Amino acid sequence: MFILDSLLIGSIRFVLEKVVAAAEAEAQDDTSLREQLLEAQMRLELGEMSEDEFVDVERDILARIRELKGSQQGAFSVSAADKITGVDVESFEDERHG
Amino acid sequence: MAARAGGRVLVVSADPAHSLGDAFAVRLTASTSTVRIGRRSLRAVELDAGRAFARWMRGHGRALADIVEHGTWLDRRDVDGLLELAVPGIDELIGLVEIVRLASGPPGFDVVVVDTAPTGHALRLLASPRAVQSLVAVLDALQREHRIVREQLARVSRPDASDRLIAALEREAVETRELLLDSSRARFHWVMLAEELAAEETADGLRALEDLGVRANEIVVNRVTPAGPACAICDPRRAAESKVVEAVRRRSGRTPVRLIEAELTEPRGIAALQRIGAALHSQVAGQAGVKARAAAAAGVRIFRSASSPSPLSAASLAGTRLLFFGGKGGVGKTTAAAAVALRLARDAPGRRMLLISTDPAHSLADVLRAPVSDEPRSVDGAPRNLHVRELDAPAALAARRAGLEASLQAISAALGSVNVGAVVNQSLAELVELAPPGIDELLGVLSVLEARESYDTVVVDMAPTGHALRLLEMPAVAREWVQALLRMLLKYRKLVRPGPLAGELVALSRQIRTLQTLLADRRATRFIAVTRAAELPRLETSRLLSRLRRLRIATPILIVNALTFNDRACARCKATQRAERRELARLRVLCRSHRCAIIEAPLAMPPPRGIGSLGQWAQTWIA
Repeated sequence: MFILDSLLIGSIRFVLEKVVAAAEAEAQDDTSLREQLLEAQMRLELGEMSEDEFVDVERDILARIRELKGSQQGAFSVSAADKITGVDVESFEDERHG
Repeated sequence: MAARAGGRVLVVSADPAHSLGDAFAVRLTASTSTVRIGRRSLRAVELDAGRAFARWMRGHGRALADIVEHGTWLDRRDVDGLLELAVPGIDELIGLVEIVRLASGPPGFDVVVVDTAPTGHALRLLASPRAVQSLVAVLDALQREHRIVREQLARVSRPDASDRLIAALEREAVETRELLLDSSRARFHWVMLAEELAAEETADGLRALEDLGVRANEIVVNRVTPAGPACAICDPRRAAESKVVEAVRRRSGRTPVRLIEAELTEPRGIAALQRIGAALHSQVAGQAGVKARAAAAAGVRIFRSASSPSPLSAASLAGTRLLFFGGKGGVGKTTAAAAVALRLARDAPGRRMLLISTDPAHSLADVLRAPVSDEPRSVDGAPRNLHVRELDAPAALAARRAGLEASLQAISAALGSVNVGAVVNQSLAELVELAPPGIDELLGVLSVLEARESYDTVVVDMAPTGHALRLLEMPAVAREWVQALLRMLLKYRKLVRPGPLAGELVALSRQIRTLQTLLADRRATRFIAVTRAAELPRLETSRLLSRLRRLRIATPILIVNALTFNDRACARCKATQRAERRELARLRVLCRSHRCAIIEAPLAMPPPRGIGSLGQWAQTWIA
């Protein structure tokens, strides 16, 4: 009994930690990309960057943000947490837009 | 008069659109000139705010830069960049400082006479010492840390140059305030025309003066029609004027009211001015009146029987997005702007239009004879697609206060200034309450920016010339400030994350750029200058057109207002008509070189007030 219980607790903790780590990583990457975009916008307004250069930079950054979101969606859809503990896994996407 | 009496007199023009030199018929500059009055003389000067500020900076810039450096993590280059930025409200901020400097300079003066800008900005001028005090509090907070370090670590207790600057600014501000409030040393003479709009503005203005703690010593009603034979023009004029003068006398309480009669040709030059001075001086207040003929028919309008020889084509203005009306005070800007706006709205019922007044001394409500507030609203009797607004800059500033406070805190943090947060909030609160210099131009631009989004056409009734130009220069000034802040945020982004402030500044910068593009679009943006066929307005118009050309703003139209077309006139009126025709000819020459069309608009007596009357008048000169 105890062995099963501790295995269960251990796996919950393991999964929760993974979920938190993934969320933090995703948030950081996203933030830094958004900051880069803001910086590019600032440089454009200061005339340090041309419209064309800005358009390229913006396109790249937005693509990377989309990429990031896409890969995260995939990870969550096969999360073991759903099955083992029934923990409600929120998409951090929703949290940001909420 | 004072000069004749042997005193040393300095006359200063503080209106950025100077007319003092025109009145003296002497060329005046930013350095005092001597004007001969018989055997005596006086000194006269037309303030140049930009030069005065540059001079002040040469003397105090270094101490000021030190303060900013002490209180922030900005380096010298950053600070020098900031100190090069243009300052909104510069005319009012430096105005009194410069007047005091000139008055105390050699040879020393007994009397200083100041010709101020029109009403709204004269009030801002009088409020400027308090504005300076609020700003000084922020400088003091920036200097505080440095002061503590000096005293405690370096054990130096002597004030340094920065401390002395702060103390001097505070002292001068206090002294100037006391001077203005000391009725034995400062006197206020209010000059107005015998017209209803002027009377309304006077009542508002005097009330505002009282709020500042100042009582006017005298009200002078200028250009009153003298007694004369029966005349289809003069009679209704005298009737309208006598009503205005009576109303002014009733509301003036103990303040004496004096009248100056209109002259055939504008008084220019010393002799003419002396004559007026003598007449004014000898007049016992309250005795002179306008001798109106009781038999004069009320509500007579004077229009030329045929339409104006050169009407305005409303169709030529269709599709305009921004239409500015500007010109000398008293020529009929607001009346013309209202007439044109009503007509354009009627012609294009599908277009959303806004008629907005950015003159702190508003006249739209008086011209339309309808309530107008800071909320854009349609007016009874006018087309529904036309909204009208009188910008209340102080109120608009107060409404934005919370957001401004947050932005200023973010800016303080971004510049690395510690401990100034509370003082900045306090100063902001004081400035919001005060209606500081520059506020009308800043909020004027913001309100036009906002209006662009909700309206297809925006008609702007501007303040008189000098400050109209300041408003048109404001987008460039605002953009420089925004860029300076963005530069700082970018430079110090590792210390403080740019955050929401940067996002707001980026958005603001974009909006300003869009507005600047719109202003430069000669088909989308037009400036309509309004003038009268008289010498001083013509001279001011000439300078206005040159400045507009330098700003690259299209000025395709000059409306010459209040022309007397009527033939049933007395000898005096006929002579006036001849003078008007001469001035019209000179205006035509002016317009040829500026490529603007002249529109002739007839005099209407009494002046058109209310939607119906404006429409009737507009029909005679808008095709």
